[in-house]
Formats: sequence, C-alpha cells, structure tokens
Amino acid sequence: MKLFALMKKEFHRFFHDPRLIVTMLLPGIVIFLLYTFLGEVIHTEPQTYDYKVYVQGEAPAVTSMIEAAIEVGDNTVEWLPLEDIDAAKKEVEEGNATAILTFTENFMQFPENSAVSIVYDPMDEAGSGFYGISVAVLQEIGMKFSILSEPLTSDENIGREIMQQILPFILVCFVFSACMSVTLESVAGEKERGTLSTILVTSAKRYHIALGKILPLACISMLGALSSFLGVALSMPKLMGLSVGMLGGYTFGSYILLLLLIVSFVPLIVALISLISTASRSVKEASAYTSVLMIFVMVISLVTAFVPVIGDWAVVIPVLNAVIFVQQLLAGTLPVWQSLVSVGMNLFYTAALVFAMTKMLSSEKIMFGK
Amino acid sequence: MSEEIVRAEGLKKTFTLSKKQQKIEKTGETRRIAVNDLSFSAYRGEIYGLLGPNGAGKTTTLRMLSTLIRPDAGDAVICGHSVVKEPAKVRDEIGFMTSELKLEGFFTPDYLFNFFGAMHGMEKGAIERRKRELFAKFGIDKFAEVQVKNLSTGMLQKVSLVIAIVHDPSVVIFDEPTNGLDVLTAKVVTDFLAELKAMGKSVLLSTHIFSLVEKLCDRVGIIFDGKMAAEGPLEEIAKGDLEKSFFDLYYNVKGEML
Repeated sequence: MKLFALMKKEFHRFFHDPRLIVTMLLPGIVIFLLYTFLGEVIHTEPQTYDYKVYVQGEAPAVTSMIEAAIEVGDNTVEWLPLEDIDAAKKEVEEGNATAILTFTENFMQFPENSAVSIVYDPMDEAGSGFYGISVAVLQEIGMKFSILSEPLTSDENIGREIMQQILPFILVCFVFSACMSVTLESVAGEKERGTLSTILVTSAKRYHIALGKILPLACISMLGALSSFLGVALSMPKLMGLSVGMLGGYTFGSYILLLLLIVSFVPLIVALISLISTASRSVKEASAYTSVLMIFVMVISLVTAFVPVIGDWAVVIPVLNAVIFVQQLLAGTLPVWQSLVSVGMNLFYTAALVFAMTKMLSSEKIMFGK
Repeated sequence: MSEEIVRAEGLKKTFTLSKKQQKIEKTGETRRIAVNDLSFSAYRGEIYGLLGPNGAGKTTTLRMLSTLIRPDAGDAVICGHSVVKEPAKVRDEIGFMTSELKLEGFFTPDYLFNFFGAMHGMEKGAIERRKRELFAKFGIDKFAEVQVKNLSTGMLQKVSLVIAIVHDPSVVIFDEPTNGLDVLTAKVVTDFLAELKAMGKSVLLSTHIFSLVEKLCDRVGIIFDGKMAAEGPLEEIAKGDLEKSFFDLYYNVKGEML
C-alpha cells in the first residue's frame, strides 16, 4: 500500500509534467530527424564512377544497353574478358574491379533457359550502383531469363557488423543518460529541497522508500532509453546508406533476450545513480559524482573494442556483461547460460544497491548531516 | 494530573565536529555534546514548551523524539512506544513539523494529503473524511487543487500543518513553529496550536520566544547547553515574569550576565 503510493507519486510527478515527458522523449526524436537528414545529405550527392567489369559469355546487345544506361550519369565502363574467375573475384573484393557479369551460352537465342549472374561487393558504392543499373536494364528487356546476384558480403552480415560495433556502446550511453536525467533530480533534488525528510517522518519503511524511488524511475528511464535507442536504430540505416531490412535479420528470441537485458540493466543504473544521489547533499554534488561514474561506464563499455577476447568471467562485471551480451546477441553467438547469468547478476547487484540505499536512508549522518 | 503521554529519560546526543567546524569555533574538541542527560514529561491535552537559546539542544531533542535521529543514550516513550525500539510505531503516533521539512511544490494539497495519509497506512475512506474535516476547518478547501508552489505563505503553512496531522496523531511536535514567519502566518500557526489543544492533542514545541510560551504553554522546560536547567508548570517557572526568570536562571547556571 505504502510502496504503491510512493511509486504512484513518482509516476504522477512525471506523467503530469509535459516538460519532463518532452525532455525524456525529445532526444530520440531529435536523433532520428538529425541522422536521417544527415543520411539524406550524405547519400544523395551525385557521384561519378569508372566501372571496370569482367564479362563472360556473349550478349553484346545487353552490355551495350547497360553501357548506355551507365554513361547517362557521366560514368564510364570498361569491359574486360574474364579469364580467371577466382582472380577476378579477388579483385572485386579488394575494390580493384567493380563486378563480374556472366551470361550463359546462347543467352540471346534461348532466353527462357538462360541466366545472367552478377558478382559484386554491396559494401562498395560503385559495385552496388552497377548492380542496380544492370538489374534495371535486364528487367526492362523483359525476356524470361534468370538474374543471379552473388554479393560477396551478405546484406544481413553488413547490417549485423554495424550493429555489433556501434549499438552496444550507444545502448549503454543512452540508458545511462536517460537514467541520469530522471534519477538525479528525483532523489538528490528531493533531499536538497527537504521533501524526502517529510516522507522519512512517516511510518513508511526505508526499503519501501528506496524501492518507491528506484522502480518507477527505472520504468520512466526505460521509456527514455527506448526513445533514444529507437531513434538511433531507425535512423542508422539511412545514415549508413543501408536499408532498414538489412538490420532485421534477428530472431524473435534475440529481441526477447535484448528486452530482458534492458529490464535488468536499467534498474541497475537507476539504483547506482540513486545511491549516489542519496549520499550527496545537493543535485550539484550528485551531478559531479555521477559524471565520474559516467566516465567509468563509458570506459567499461569500450573495453571490448580494445580487448578482442574476454573470458566468461566478464558476466559478473556490470556494464561489461551488458556490452558483451549485446555484441554476442547481435553476432548470433550468445549462449543462453551467459545471458541468464548476466541478467541474474544485474538483478542481484540492483538488490544489493537497494539494500545499501535503505541503509543510507536510515543513516542520520547521511540524511541530516551538514 | 492528566495522563503522561511523553516521557524522556536521560536523553543524550553527541555529534562529531568536522575540521572546518573546529576551525570556526577555534576548538580542538572532536565531539560536541548537543543534549546531555535530558529528562522531562509531557501530558495529554497540554502544550509543552522547550525554551532555550540557539544551540541549546532543542531541535536535537525534538529530532530524537520524532525518531529522525537516534539517542546515544537514554530513551523516550511516546504513547507507550520507545523511540529507540519502536520508531515506526512512534511515527504513527506523532505529527512532526519543522521548517526543514518541505512539501513538493509540483503537487496539490489534495494529492499530498492523500499521499501522506497512505504513508501512514490510512484507508481511502478515512483519508477522505479527515480531508473534508481539516480542509473545511482551516479554509484549505478552495485551494485543494492549486499547486503548492502557487500558494501564499500563510496557506502553505496551513497545508503543511494539516498534512502533519493527517493521521490524527496523539502528539504533535513543532520545532520553532513561528520562526521566520510574518505576523499573519505566525498567527495562523499559534491559532492552529490552540486549536490542537482544544482537540485534546498533546503538543511539544521548541522556541526561544517568551511570548509564545506565555501565550500557549502549560508546562515549560528551560535548556542550556543540552541540559535541562528547570522544568515544570509555566506558573512555577515564570513566577509572573518568564523573561526575568529565564535570565536569572541563565546567570545562576552559566555564572554570567547577558
């Protein structure tokens, strides 16, 4: 009853103050608009390419149509006869050649039984540009032949690689800043204004007061983190010049595991900041300490970028376990035991922090010391 | 004599002096005794005043009684519950008011009344009945839905007082009730204290204002340097002039004139 009233008060404070809601959701919206705008600017600049394409098989009518389409945009194309397919593929991979175009025998005479294959590197802008033009020309011809595309790197892999490198760090950053913006004011602010003491003279138990702060603040922080995270996740493909579909190669289970992680990670960060806020005498003091904590968290979340192999012991290190969790999840190599232990450890640390905050709320030196 | 409702026995509280405080006070002492072996009793339906200069230990005593801080030695029993052993039960028996306890400006008196009622474990129906009664009595009903930050000082003080007694406590403890208030707001508070007494509540207050004690208190305890210098019914202590008696006592105890 008392815990419910305390939680309700925090929610009421947040959801009845339009400024707080806007402050919480605005970063996500701004990030989305800004990144999308940047992506539009970066990827719509007109560029010219000198394509170098290996050709195997006879289809001069088709190649001349492709050439005509390519030269419309001031691009040039050099057709080279294919002698060694492996050497040519290597050249494409290294960016020395644009693509390999292979027509089956008697391509023009028997289109129904024919096929054309295009080997290209989708990470290379010229390669993906050539692929797009070629497919458009081949489709325009209207004959019933097969078009076989052979990307040297799969779109899904590209998406995953980007996600693996950037998203864990971004996730930690946004979770932390969302938690900080809500928690600092709510705990240290109340302490500074003397409104927390007013609750302490009631018969509410100290752990109810601690939980009454941490639980609703964690829910509110999750909304903020989710807004920022969605802003990044949805605008990132545009910024990178990829399609949203490339980032969708994850199973429903992956998303559930990610959700579990967030549900355990956000209360941990909120509890950590709440503890600092409770120990501080003012919002200013709490901000200073939390900034130091933020630097620690950022450093830990970047450890994996510099240390390629980290042992299983990392599951017990908060923040680091979350970063590794997200990386392995995105790579599709996350063991179930590791995910459950990480979530369990986060919840354990949160419980320990709630206990410590309860002790602090009972300490007259911390609550009433000058 | 009526029923004893507060009994303090041998209360003692010591604080550690920081290096900064030691430097300011030019002392090598690392600890300061704020309250030293303080004992007194207050009775049902009476107003008890703790009178003393600044730094005498009045606020520390009231904080111990309200369970915000724990005595180093001694104990106090309020309505049969020990402040040391049963602090949560004591908190349900008392209403504590001090200028250091504030209400969040974002909320309305109506919301805060409901919230603090719930904090004291009251049922919804009981909170509503109590709210209707107190809001009407103190003229808060018209301002029930105005955010606390937009209330006048007087109205804010009324709201604070009413919220302190939301759970109908037997004992109401006020630390420096009129300190820093303008004459109008101070009258709101003194009228409120008289009203509480009329309602049969016991009130414990700390003050350094003689007129407030003379006007309201039935019993008085005079504190110097954390020790009880004199205690008893107002007439016995004041002997017709409280201010003169206070300074005579001060001279006797401290050996110096002010």
